[in-house]
Amino acid sequence: MVLNFKVGGEGTSFSPHIFNNHMKSIFFKTEYDADNYGHFGTFGGRYVPEMLMPALEELAAVYDAAKQDPDFLQELMDLYKNYDGRPTPLYFAKNLTKQLGGAKIYLKNEGLNHTGAHKINHCLGQALLAKRMGKKRLIAETGAGQHGLATATVAAKFGFACTVYMGAVDYERQRPNVFFMELLGATVVPVEHGTKRLKDAVTAALQDWISNVDDSYYLLGSALGPHPYPSMVRDFQSIIGLEVKEQIMEQEGRLPDYLVACVGGGSNALGLFNAFLENKEVCMIGVEAGGRDITKIGEHAARLQSAGKIGVVEGYKSYFLQNDDGQVQSTHSISAGLDYAGIGPEHALLFEQGRVAYHAVSDAQVIAALQLLAQTEGVIPALESAHAVAYAIKLAPTLDDEKIMVVNVSGRGDKDIFILGDILGDEKWKNYLKKKSQ
Amino acid sequence: MNKIDAQLKKIKSQNRIGLMTHIVVGYPDLATSKNLLKTMLEVGVDFIELQIPFSDPLADGPTLMVANQLAVQHNTSVRQSMELMAAVSLTTSTPILFMTYFNIVFNYGVARFCQEASQAGCSGLIVPDMPLDEERYEGFIEQAEKFDLYVIRTLAPSSTPKRLRLNAQLAKGFVYFAGRQATTGSQRELDNNLFSNIKKVKQYIDKPVAVGFGISKPEHIYELKNHAEIAVLGSKVVNIYHESASDMAIKNVKIFLQSLVDATH
Repeated sequence: MVLNFKVGGEGTSFSPHIFNNHMKSIFFKTEYDADNYGHFGTFGGRYVPEMLMPALEELAAVYDAAKQDPDFLQELMDLYKNYDGRPTPLYFAKNLTKQLGGAKIYLKNEGLNHTGAHKINHCLGQALLAKRMGKKRLIAETGAGQHGLATATVAAKFGFACTVYMGAVDYERQRPNVFFMELLGATVVPVEHGTKRLKDAVTAALQDWISNVDDSYYLLGSALGPHPYPSMVRDFQSIIGLEVKEQIMEQEGRLPDYLVACVGGGSNALGLFNAFLENKEVCMIGVEAGGRDITKIGEHAARLQSAGKIGVVEGYKSYFLQNDDGQVQSTHSISAGLDYAGIGPEHALLFEQGRVAYHAVSDAQVIAALQLLAQTEGVIPALESAHAVAYAIKLAPTLDDEKIMVVNVSGRGDKDIFILGDILGDEKWKNYLKKKSQ
Repeated sequence: MNKIDAQLKKIKSQNRIGLMTHIVVGYPDLATSKNLLKTMLEVGVDFIELQIPFSDPLADGPTLMVANQLAVQHNTSVRQSMELMAAVSLTTSTPILFMTYFNIVFNYGVARFCQEASQAGCSGLIVPDMPLDEERYEGFIEQAEKFDLYVIRTLAPSSTPKRLRLNAQLAKGFVYFAGRQATTGSQRELDNNLFSNIKKVKQYIDKPVAVGFGISKPEHIYELKNHAEIAVLGSKVVNIYHESASDMAIKNVKIFLQSLVDATH
């Protein structure tokens, strides 16, 4: 692993000011990296119509050049620190740990990023690329709205026009983010095709890009899609794991035993995992959306729990929930961000090689986990992130209290107020909504 | 000899432009798509693209997306598409090609798909999301050629000289040039740069050029003569069917198709 990142720098003393020197790089290789054609083993690739091939070739070339340019990294690190609020804290969840009685649980609180989730990390990186390429407009897809919100935010900051595609189902259930995206100046388009969810928003965004490839940049929001997106999004998210590595050394003097993150497309999970992939003693767990019933197609979004099979959709090869002919099937999750029929290609490789274990938790377990974390630690996670918390709650009590677990709280839960109000049946909230609507 | 070559030869000898039309299998239902296919053969189109529907048709615009979605909702299967191909193709000299997305081919099994398509009388394959760059991983063209299926290279206004050259090396039969940088769909006017773009393609590729995307009326076919060898119409036929009263739909499509065929002479 070529990692330009040294814990403790020159000596053994530890510098907390990691952004004051630029020895650290989010650009490093691991044995799980894609080949030159964007294939992670048999997964990934670039299965798109000819219309997009030249644009993807150009993007890959510009990205490679940017990685070699120290000014690019410096500008990004300055944005991470001064605009985004990085580093985000790694916080020992003492009360939760005590209550569960097992492994020590640390929370990497990505919810404290500007705009409330890890999505801003890859938006800042890609906005700098779009600027470098002289583009005038950003296109994005969004599920929960966090990626759309972060894209609308960087569009406002850097002066891009912005169009965000959102499945009609998600447009309805994540309405606060629609409101804020529009406030930031973005056009938000509900997508009525197909399952009306994240998958269909990705397709709509790719189709927009086909027609506007000269002046528009497609700011993809997860570690999926055609090469180079899976690698590029992972790189921009790798700051999460790099920080955790430094922070856990500072607090515990050793690497963690377990890393736990939720996996929709897989950007926050890869962001946490990437810097640890070659530390084979660190166990990694990706948590999928088990929804209402993991045994029934249409009732969950768990691609790696036996229902999924390999296919080629939206420009990449990976595991998808699909029927025998390859028609992509509908999904369900309480969290819009995990309600996706595919999974990023590097996750498919990590799954196949057994480097990362993938488990699923149900909607009900997610709600219980969210409440427990809120009430023990005063942290309200996004419904997506609460999947990771739910699995951690299952796992921690089975482990020795010497063990250390890091859970990625990829986003905060503000956006889910309407969903939670509904599910928890909060009468005061319902009455308030009634009153406001009159 | 592949039927595509024979047909290209015939069109050339008649000193006219060819016509390729498009059907989504299972839209609006399986029986009607068979009727549409027969109507196209009766009227005398030169090539037919039989689209095996897919849930996520990336290169298709609103009209064909809706058609795909409906066909998928009706559980139109690859098996049924093969059967439709066999029912019609084995008794006509008109080349019929399968158009679909790579996930359909991949799930069926690349070798099995090519073998069964060939046995069903299919002449060629148009799979827009299978660029030549992935051939080393999939062996798709290799399998297709083993069963005498032409893999039609698709090209776009954005194609670079390097990519045109690479595609030229693999082109069989004809190439399919998307006349505008967009998804499929009928348009009132041809793209402003269409003729110069076709000229660019012809600099690199010594094969007949089929032009689609945005072609919607006989006038477009007149305009394309002397620039391209084949005009391709997809969405407009679906629109005409969709907008007609149900007892008039096939008849209206037939009248429209006849006007297109007339325009090729």
